[in-house]
Amino acid sequence: MLKKIILFFIILIPVNAFALIEVDITRGNLDPLPLAVSPLSIDETSRKSFEKILKKENIGSEISNIVENNLKTSGLFNPLDKKAFLQAPDIANLKPRFEDWNLIKAQALITGKVNYVDDKLRVEFRLWDVLAAKEMMALAFTTVPNNWRRVGHIISDKVYERLTGEKGYFDTRIIYVSEEGPKTQRIKKLAIMDQDGANNKFLTLGNELVLTPRFNPASQMVTYLSYFKNMPRVYLLDIETGTQEVVGDFPGMTFAPRFSPDGKKIIMSFAKDGKSDIYTMDLENRIVEKITNHPSIDTSPSYSPDGKYITFNSDRSGYQQIYVMKNDGSDVKRISFGNGLYGTPVWSPRGDLIAFTKLHKGKFYIGVMRTDGSGERLLTENYYQEAPSWSPNGRVLIFYRETKTNSKGEGFSAKLWSIDLTGYNERQIKTPTDASDPSWSSLLSN
Amino acid sequence: MNRSLIISSALHALLIFITAMSLPFLAKKPLDIPPIVSVELIQIAEKTNIPFAPKAKKIIEKIKEKEKKLVSEQAPPKKVEKTKTKTVISPDQNNKKVENQTPEAIPLPEKTVKKVETKEEKKQNPDKLDEEVKQVSEFEKDDLFDPNELKAKIDKAKIDASKQKLKKNNEITQDQDKSVLTGKLTITEEQALQAQIFTCWSIPLGLPYAPEDMLVRIKLSLKPDGSIDDMEMLDHVKMNTPGKERFRTLADSVRRAVQICNPLRVPASGYERWKNIIFNFDASEMLGG
Amino acid sequence: MRLNKILKNTLLVLMACLALSACATKKEVSNVQGQMQGDVYTGTDTVEYLADGVPDRVFFATNESILTTASRETLRAQASWLRKNPSINVVLEGHADERGTREYNLALGERRANAAKDYLMTYGISSDRITVLSYGKERPVDSGSNPLAWSKNRRSVTVKAN
Repeated sequence: MLKKIILFFIILIPVNAFALIEVDITRGNLDPLPLAVSPLSIDETSRKSFEKILKKENIGSEISNIVENNLKTSGLFNPLDKKAFLQAPDIANLKPRFEDWNLIKAQALITGKVNYVDDKLRVEFRLWDVLAAKEMMALAFTTVPNNWRRVGHIISDKVYERLTGEKGYFDTRIIYVSEEGPKTQRIKKLAIMDQDGANNKFLTLGNELVLTPRFNPASQMVTYLSYFKNMPRVYLLDIETGTQEVVGDFPGMTFAPRFSPDGKKIIMSFAKDGKSDIYTMDLENRIVEKITNHPSIDTSPSYSPDGKYITFNSDRSGYQQIYVMKNDGSDVKRISFGNGLYGTPVWSPRGDLIAFTKLHKGKFYIGVMRTDGSGERLLTENYYQEAPSWSPNGRVLIFYRETKTNSKGEGFSAKLWSIDLTGYNERQIKTPTDASDPSWSSLLSN
Repeated sequence: MNRSLIISSALHALLIFITAMSLPFLAKKPLDIPPIVSVELIQIAEKTNIPFAPKAKKIIEKIKEKEKKLVSEQAPPKKVEKTKTKTVISPDQNNKKVENQTPEAIPLPEKTVKKVETKEEKKQNPDKLDEEVKQVSEFEKDDLFDPNELKAKIDKAKIDASKQKLKKNNEITQDQDKSVLTGKLTITEEQALQAQIFTCWSIPLGLPYAPEDMLVRIKLSLKPDGSIDDMEMLDHVKMNTPGKERFRTLADSVRRAVQICNPLRVPASGYERWKNIIFNFDASEMLGG
Repeated sequence: MRLNKILKNTLLVLMACLALSACATKKEVSNVQGQMQGDVYTGTDTVEYLADGVPDRVFFATNESILTTASRETLRAQASWLRKNPSINVVLEGHADERGTREYNLALGERRANAAKDYLMTYGISSDRITVLSYGKERPVDSGSNPLAWSKNRRSVTVKAN
């Protein structure tokens, strides 16, 4: 008993009676941030002008709908129901009554105004901190009216950046392969669309098989595999002019093309005599370099963002696994050692992770690992899915997923999906046809 | 032939018999389940410890489910595109392709990328900290009948009621509190504060993990009723450093957390002890790779 | 009471035996239907003929490009047919099943077609007469998602080029 009392005092005495109390907070809630996207206000004359040009009744609310949808799909924000808003959009943009917004538990508020100025669309928007009752950001854009969707995306990017501390990914596009018809005679076309699925356009007609398109860093050029004249070759396509050319003069099949981070080279596989090796071709001087030299299959190459390293998959160990090497092909190291097969490694734009497809016990996984192969995390499991591509900020992966067919070959579909690095917030991206092989562009603005 | 058949059946019957006898699960002996012993590790006053319990994983699971439900609602249907498809595969274009003998490609009909002018319109007022503290604690007017508002009010009333209850609880535990003399909060009080802040702090999940920018310290001066009199970011210099936008984002979230939690539910006694308090917001556990 | 219990158990065991034996028969049936040896397709459902007694395709095991005994026999028949018809050139089209990543399967298809090409060359067919092409998993013959369908799709098909 005495001992206990002594112990008690020993604990108590050394405590400084005048020290400031410190409380450690190591947890928080993971709920998306509640925010209010007030419709952009618009005066009657501007509204009518835009209605005539764009066939949209109220371009202000259309733009704010885009912002709202973008922020919601990111999984990080919870845009509140507009019906609960107490303040009219035009007044809110001048001076929000923060008490009202606080009442509906909005922590941030987006307001703005649309004007028709000299045949152009002028949009200003403000981001408000409701709790601090102050403005966080104010920006204005002027552009041609047809660009209204992009304005919505750019606003979303700015808000995302200010509230998350990381660049957004909304003003981006996705190139993919559109698929139609039965599995045995699939018709495939190159297609491009905005990140949210809008503005879908086809780039080829579907007369020949096309696969695995990839953007260049400026998002103006695409490299892809085409079976033109039944000769599988890597091609280069200029999106704006539609001109295209074969990449390199190889006596056989070239495939799995990607651009280098500076956009000056194309890296790809060349298959001959039962083995596939990785080559690069300089787009300026047309010099071809052989990077790997091994009797195995080496394919699906991907540069690190600094261009110094290349990750690829190879079956040199007997099974398909992921390797990393220097950009001249030296210093090859295997990095995947888990159970199963590993393929399609893609280096993240942040540089710290490699995304991959894993095949294990009849299931396909999309996962990420560090560049030394440690810290493997599987994000999603399914019957068939592959080919992840990073959002420009390295937070979201887009990939495609196929469903199983029954014995009659029915029930097959291929769709695009996206998932967060955290492994939740999995969403399907709607496309007009079936879709596969998605590749995410870089940010189009700034 | 016959003999072997008999032997075989006999052996089979024996085997079946043995297996049947040894089957354990039809023997209905009541299992001796030891009584459940509940062990309480920390003595906690009947306080707001509940929201502290869920582990991050569980929360993620919950969100995952919620998100899954959302999937179907996402992305607007695209009817317009279908018609576009048809126009693209017009027969004359097909013919052109054959003549040219080059791989097909359709240039985009319009110039897709137009430069968008961007300019910073206005710089915000950097110092407005005094104003922030002014909080709306009560509703000012209600001339309009709005169901949302009403609901909010009911919620608020509920919160108030529970707050009252909590205060009472606090007082009871204070009587037992022996450590008033020390500058330390007791474990229960500390946990109560942690639990409050936990629910108020929306961690910016998009934030990339950067070990050096994961800790935000904020010093609060409290009034006896727990409302915030003054707050001070202890690293406010870092907050405005260019290139430290991520830290600013985290600091913003911390400031919001404190404001949402204002007024804090504080112990009924020992005001001198918790008049000034520092909260160390550490996001490394939640965002850590 | 006790007897009752034993009877019950006996019944249970008998039922279990029956269930097991049912499994066994079913498996046998599917194997016969499947026409597979290991996981190499040995049936003739999808096979076409270049000439009488000259099948046009050979099949492979999962992730493999090794020619089976049956495949070699097929290729020998093709080789002698090619020798008899020196004006005919061929394209060897390599294919893979759908259970792999697209790009790896393109390479795998090439490797399979190349294995067939090498074998034809050892039987005196000039490499000038043979072109190799891979479709990866892009052109399955059976669109099903089951082991049998996959085994039909893992193939190298010899096609007349002229």
